[in-house]
Amino acid sequence: MTDTKSPEKAAVNPPGGRSALQHLLQGERPYMLYVAFAIMLIVFSLASPWFLSIDNFLNIGRQTTLVSIIAVGMTFVIISRQIDLSVASTLALSGMSASLAMAFVANNWVVGAVAGLGTGALIGLINGVLTTRLEIPSFLVTLGTLSGARGLALMVTNTKPVIITNEHYFAIFGEGSVLGIPAPILWTLGVTVAGILLLHYSVYGRRVYAAGGNPTAALYSGVHIKQVTTLAFVLTGTLAGLASLILSARSHAARPDVVQGMELDVIASVILGGCSLFGGRGFVLGTLLGSLIIGTLNNGLVLLGVSSSLQLVIKGAIIVAAVAFTRR
Amino acid sequence: MKHSARILFGTFSLAASAFALSTSLSLAQTPDTCVTGVDMATLGPKGIVGQGPHGEKAASPDELKLTDDEAAKVKAGKFKVGISMQTVNLDWSQLQVAGISETLAKYGVTVTGVASAEYQVDKQIADIENTIQQHPDGIISIPVDFTATAPTYKKVGEAGIKLVFMDSIPVGLSSPKDFASMISADSQGNGQIAATILASCMPKGGTIGLVNFGVDYFSTNERTKGVSEWMKANRPDIVLKQVDFTDPSKVSQIAGDFLTGNPDVKGLFAVWDQPALDTLSSMRAQGIDIPITTVDLGLQSAIEIAKGGPLKATGSQRPYDQGVAEAMAMMKALIGQPTPAWVGVQSLPVVQSNVLESYKTVFHKDPPAELIDACNSAKPKCN
Repeated sequence: MTDTKSPEKAAVNPPGGRSALQHLLQGERPYMLYVAFAIMLIVFSLASPWFLSIDNFLNIGRQTTLVSIIAVGMTFVIISRQIDLSVASTLALSGMSASLAMAFVANNWVVGAVAGLGTGALIGLINGVLTTRLEIPSFLVTLGTLSGARGLALMVTNTKPVIITNEHYFAIFGEGSVLGIPAPILWTLGVTVAGILLLHYSVYGRRVYAAGGNPTAALYSGVHIKQVTTLAFVLTGTLAGLASLILSARSHAARPDVVQGMELDVIASVILGGCSLFGGRGFVLGTLLGSLIIGTLNNGLVLLGVSSSLQLVIKGAIIVAAVAFTRR
Repeated sequence: MKHSARILFGTFSLAASAFALSTSLSLAQTPDTCVTGVDMATLGPKGIVGQGPHGEKAASPDELKLTDDEAAKVKAGKFKVGISMQTVNLDWSQLQVAGISETLAKYGVTVTGVASAEYQVDKQIADIENTIQQHPDGIISIPVDFTATAPTYKKVGEAGIKLVFMDSIPVGLSSPKDFASMISADSQGNGQIAATILASCMPKGGTIGLVNFGVDYFSTNERTKGVSEWMKANRPDIVLKQVDFTDPSKVSQIAGDFLTGNPDVKGLFAVWDQPALDTLSSMRAQGIDIPITTVDLGLQSAIEIAKGGPLKATGSQRPYDQGVAEAMAMMKALIGQPTPAWVGVQSLPVVQSNVLESYKTVFHKDPPAELIDACNSAKPKCN
């Protein structure tokens, strides 16, 4: 798996010769992210009698599922020096696609899953191809697909939700559990582990770092930056498709107007998790922590009964403070 | 790479197989005593309970009927009317527009166009200004915002164009100087319906959670007020707790956290149907099965009510009938007849036993197959 002779390894090996395991646990900013998360857990545990319970942590896990899963893909995109603003719209369109496939092709969870994941992957492919082949900045390409995919999602049923009735689909993606752990959390764990393996333990992962960290060096080292980048978009789109399956299974319907603006939560999680907006730096576990920090903040403030307007102010202030803190 | 791909595939296959085996959902059944204690014949206010935004008393849509002479005048006038909506992407707005257009067409009044502001103030201002340029005889509109759109709506009156509002009135406008009528649902009455049914499912001294819209908006304020005032008057033993949301896309998270932090809550009211469905998805995830009621009817909420799950009832608006009333008020105004400042359209209680019939009443069409299937699987309680 680790090809010591591959040229890109020399180009992207982190300075100081840190091992992949160190990279996985620490990213570029060791400890601070864990400290920030630990402080938050302690404060909320002391302030609310309901915070420190397994049920509540399962709550937070479920609530952060969509953002966490997509953020794993977004980590690849941002490390490769790109951005994907279309993820929330991709999720909406993929959900519609999954539910319509089950309504009109076959009421089978596999059909729904293939349609949802396929739609996500296709939008990712369009983003990737337009960005790399036509050399349009990904900010603009994905701004376009953000609008286009949402429009299609709204058009396809004339804005109506599509009801899902498949019990297997509900169980697999939304409401089932294994050993008491809800399905959405298991999917998050699965995606995180897969993301870690792919980013930190595969040649593709090193190529992603190379493409974002030093594209010129990577190019001369034989890295196909266009392919690597396109694949990162496809991965993100597919994960947005997976998130759509989870959301629609939980709500027993797919709706075209869901999760508007969620791309900002996803990007915030990735950046909070130690990823650089300028590419070349970031780690999957950090992204998961970033998402959990935002989710825990949302959860804790509601448990404390903080008014909804004040919650937004506190959340904004803490996110900025946490980013500043973890980057020192 | 190949190795990690195998690991990846293995992880997903394992997870998918495990979930497939785990089909046991942790949903408990709600007790049957709920809802059956309410006499459907007497449920809900017989008139309009609430007051208009400026404390007006409600007039009935019956007061807007046209005499034969008036109808002839309207037909002879060959009037043109423009419509400016906040969005056309809701069942609610599509039914309103259908009610308006079909009624106006009966009397030979032309609809010049339907503008959709997509909830944006600047777009609505542009929409109304553009409509004024078409020189219609009247405009029917729902304001996206109370203050920022007010000067533009004043221009409508100044241009000699009759104005009828749906649902709310911008600040500083008064009838009959600036507009003819405002037609809205009886939001407080809808709240009362939701409260009556929810109370029937609550033990003495129980606690109810209100999932409320935290933005100051007339119709949603009235709904929550309808619930809390009814509870104070009829079930003072019940404790009310409230959680506010400002972003409708966050209801699932907020309601879930609220239930975790308040395990004493044994019943819920959500301020409209989508937040109720989002709350329901949180409840499912946490394995909580407590009764919930709401206001407004959509296909998904109708299906949930038909199935006999935790969503017990809704106090529904009648958007098509509201559209009919708006058209009638507009035609009265066009021929110079006085119109009431506020017309309230009566609430409609929807429960499992009348959901199919109610769907027809609200949507003016037969229920779709999904709703009929859901109802059939819950017979005889659903019919």
